[in-house]
Amino acid sequence: MYGWAGQRLRVDLSTGTITKEPLSYEYRRKWIGGRGFNSDIIYNEVPANLDPFDPKARVCFGVGPVSGTAAPSTGRVTVTCKSPLTGGFGDSNMGGHWGAELKYAGYDQIVVQGRAKHPVYIWVDDDKVEIRDARHLWGKFPREADQMIKEELGDEDIHIVLIGPAGENMVRFACTFNDVWRAAGRTGHGGVIGSKNLKGIAVRGSGTVKIANPKAMMDVCNRLRQTFKPDPMKIGLYEFGSLCLINVANRDGWFPWRNFQGGAHPLANNMSGETHAKTVLKHREGCFACPICCGRFTHIKEGKWAGEEFGGPEYEHAVPTGPRVGIIEDANDIWHNARLTNDYGMDGIETGGVISAAMEWYEKGLITTKETGGLELEWGNAEVVDKLIPMIATRKGFGAILAEGADRASDKLGLGDKGHYYTLTTRGMTLPGDDPRGLGFGYGLSFAMGTRGGCDHLRSLCCLELSGALYPGLNTKILGDERPNKPVTTVGKPYMVFYEENQKATTDCLQVCCFTTHWSYAVLTPDQVEYLNAVTGLDFTEEEFQEIGERVYNLERAYWARQMSGAREDVVPERFTTEPMPQGVDFQTNVGVVFPLSEMLKKYYKYREYEPGTGFPGERKLKQLGLDYVAKDLAPLRSKYLSESEKKKKKYYY
Amino acid sequence: MSNGKALVYNQEKCTGCRSCVVGCSLYHDGECGKVVSRVAVVRNERFGESFVVGCDMCTDAPCAAVCPTGACAMDTVAGITKINAEKCIGCKECAMACPFGVINMHYKTGKAFKCDLCEGRDAGPVCADWCPSGAITYTSPNIAFKAKRRVKLMERLEAVKAGEEG
Repeated sequence: MYGWAGQRLRVDLSTGTITKEPLSYEYRRKWIGGRGFNSDIIYNEVPANLDPFDPKARVCFGVGPVSGTAAPSTGRVTVTCKSPLTGGFGDSNMGGHWGAELKYAGYDQIVVQGRAKHPVYIWVDDDKVEIRDARHLWGKFPREADQMIKEELGDEDIHIVLIGPAGENMVRFACTFNDVWRAAGRTGHGGVIGSKNLKGIAVRGSGTVKIANPKAMMDVCNRLRQTFKPDPMKIGLYEFGSLCLINVANRDGWFPWRNFQGGAHPLANNMSGETHAKTVLKHREGCFACPICCGRFTHIKEGKWAGEEFGGPEYEHAVPTGPRVGIIEDANDIWHNARLTNDYGMDGIETGGVISAAMEWYEKGLITTKETGGLELEWGNAEVVDKLIPMIATRKGFGAILAEGADRASDKLGLGDKGHYYTLTTRGMTLPGDDPRGLGFGYGLSFAMGTRGGCDHLRSLCCLELSGALYPGLNTKILGDERPNKPVTTVGKPYMVFYEENQKATTDCLQVCCFTTHWSYAVLTPDQVEYLNAVTGLDFTEEEFQEIGERVYNLERAYWARQMSGAREDVVPERFTTEPMPQGVDFQTNVGVVFPLSEMLKKYYKYREYEPGTGFPGERKLKQLGLDYVAKDLAPLRSKYLSESEKKKKKYYY
Repeated sequence: MSNGKALVYNQEKCTGCRSCVVGCSLYHDGECGKVVSRVAVVRNERFGESFVVGCDMCTDAPCAAVCPTGACAMDTVAGITKINAEKCIGCKECAMACPFGVINMHYKTGKAFKCDLCEGRDAGPVCADWCPSGAITYTSPNIAFKAKRRVKLMERLEAVKAGEEG
């Protein structure tokens, strides 16, 4: 077999059973890999009413047919589960080298189920798989546990997936790491892994990925590697990491100042990639087979936190516990907070999201020091944030409330609709540090429609509206229309989002990094089809490529529909649609902009063929995509969703 | 040395991405994997350190000196040490003798294999060609050393200047 390893590893921690299931040609062709395999497992094996922390819940790690090959950036892994944060479909994607290692060990996917009696970790040594004691690793930061496992197994070159203390304590937005720092941040699967008493998965792979047509593969890879060399986005990302966005975000007004009260700040350059590279950058890091290498390693040299070291940060990791909570003056505070969320193993975005929501509740008088246990949650209070992050991870004091996620915390505190106004979530998950009033209306639409809830900059990653200026003619080449290349316009955006969501879904199934395909646009769909065919020896076409993405996307949407989430939940936080963007700096380009979601929704629904009333995936489309069983599942639910009693329910999470 | 050029490794720039590894294995073996690569990457994730380890093409090569069959020997035409698979008996002496650990045994044939500077590839060795950070370059060592000398001197000069100002 070429490309795929051809088998799924299933580990039941309750019984200690380890099974290897072959993946048929039809199955692989239908779902490709990674995100596709995972979404299929979650839809079929994790029912709507199951608690995400139930031992019967699954957590899946998937890689794709080109993982571990010479195609650009083939180290990604998708981690999928029923999200304890949103209660709906949840997946997240990480870089690093673990994905390639898993493939070399001979697996396309690992599914973990059950719950071990005591903390354990899984050791995958090619064919040999064992469940080992991890009691001594419990409570350790990933960086410590990584070293301890490597010493124990006597091999420093293995790659390990780990959770931090937050995952062990089932914080609803705990995340997973591989290679210590590469996080699959969102949707809280770290807590699900922790609920299974699983600390991590160590992998050693000594095999190879077989290539059907090595000469064709060499040709396409040679060409793509050359394309990257002069690419402007590659150069920016290599030099400054994704923090290269800070100054752009500040100019275009999507810098998340104080929980999106503002979109720009005069001191933004304090934390820009340019400043980071000059002051605290220790080393540049690359994920597997990456021609970009946007990874950072930071060493704080001055001030209170001098001597601290950690992998990262990147843009979305640095801004939530920085400007989003009002910290901007001393960038070392921002790097320190990023270090904390990494070590404790929490999603930086959600951590910043929940703290900034709490700060706004505090500012508006919805809560006082009485509720916070004496913590003065003023904007920019770095000392409080430094205290609060470990409190959340260990569920202590006020931290225990925030560990439930922003919307649940709001309900626990009994703040009503007012509380939810400031949580800036959709479907229970906080939006990342991108304000759609500046970043782009396509992104905004994507935030409303993302199939993993309150995200998602990574569902469509429609940089076509962002990088348009850098690549003249690109929009025409991909979408057949150059007009959508400006961020703050609606024209052509519904189709752009529809197209890019499908494209990105298949890219995730291949498990290649979207920075090669959606940021730099050095790798376009025809290139991906070319290397996929060279690796597998099959005959995929561009149409099939898009169709696979559409299938995955509709399945994920159906997962939400199955638990009564549809058209009524296709919203973005009201702040974006009602509050005009204020002026933060004099060169800001988007002052006064509000985000016009409703204008675009109707058209987007048409492209998707979602039902107008419910917003459920349409029956005709589902059947066309080979998802008849899904259509059958959804048929009886339509009238229920439209019933008066359902309409009355206000749902923030599931 | 071949055309007066050699692979020059700059460890400070290595990001540990293993682009070199996948390129090398694909070019030589038509499959992708660390175990069939002639170049290796050592990663120290906790400290954010990565190193690339490839053949340094020793002038007085220990691998050739210990080879009992003459399989590993200096190719006087190419000017580099090569392993002739037909003569190799798989004794692993060369792999153990290599001071850098860049010779490996092939999982299919059981014979030793090492870097051949991608013989026949017009664009030069694939590892240097694909390296995104400039950690591996295929260049004349003399030019590389001169450039490094200049960079290091300038760094020291900057430090001295900064010290004077501060």
